[in-house]
Amino acid sequence: MGNSVTVVMRKAPYGSVYSAEGFRSIMGVGVFEMDISVVFVDDGVYVVTKGQDPGALDMKALADGFPMLGDFGVTKFYVHDQSLAERGLSVDDLAIEAKVVDSAGVAQLMATSGIVLPF
Amino acid sequence: MLFTVNKSPLMFGNLESALRIAPPGDPILLLEDGVYAAAGGAASEPMVAEALAQRPIYALKADLEARGVRRLVDGVQVIDYEGFVELVEQHHVVPWL
Repeated sequence: MGNSVTVVMRKAPYGSVYSAEGFRSIMGVGVFEMDISVVFVDDGVYVVTKGQDPGALDMKALADGFPMLGDFGVTKFYVHDQSLAERGLSVDDLAIEAKVVDSAGVAQLMATSGIVLPF
Repeated sequence: MLFTVNKSPLMFGNLESALRIAPPGDPILLLEDGVYAAAGGAASEPMVAEALAQRPIYALKADLEARGVRRLVDGVQVIDYEGFVELVEQHHVVPWL
């Protein structure tokens, strides 16, 4: 546990600032070389779907930022299986390499993290 | 009346509620996170498909594209901002926030 951090992304991008702020926090935690995991649950899986084009909203595609988080030491991504399935999605629809975990796996991530940051 | 829904159908009950309240025949406009209800293959699809038998459902193009929602429930009509304005001109608007 110790200083390990798990960021939980549960909200869809663009409809609120949560996902963008979550992304900024992930970068920040990564910069300080802390042990960080990111898990996408519920509408959070929409944050990293391929094909986002928010140009008409005068925004940048949030999903495009996640693959480069490896440069900040952020490499552990998890995605909740049921959240994907409920949205008719599979890992092939995602812009990142993520490990698929079930509900118990998500709970395990929380239980073994020193800090849980919700977005 | 034109009911507008801007919340995700799997996280909030706004769409389900709007479909309950809006009289049959009255259109629904999906915008912002509401456009996820237009996504084919999602758990909300049966509810949307059933509603389409009773009323037109529109989804705003810019919000679909922003979110990368491409595979749509059959029958959902994609409209741009001009179409949005036309709908607003034609109907009494009820934002179902």
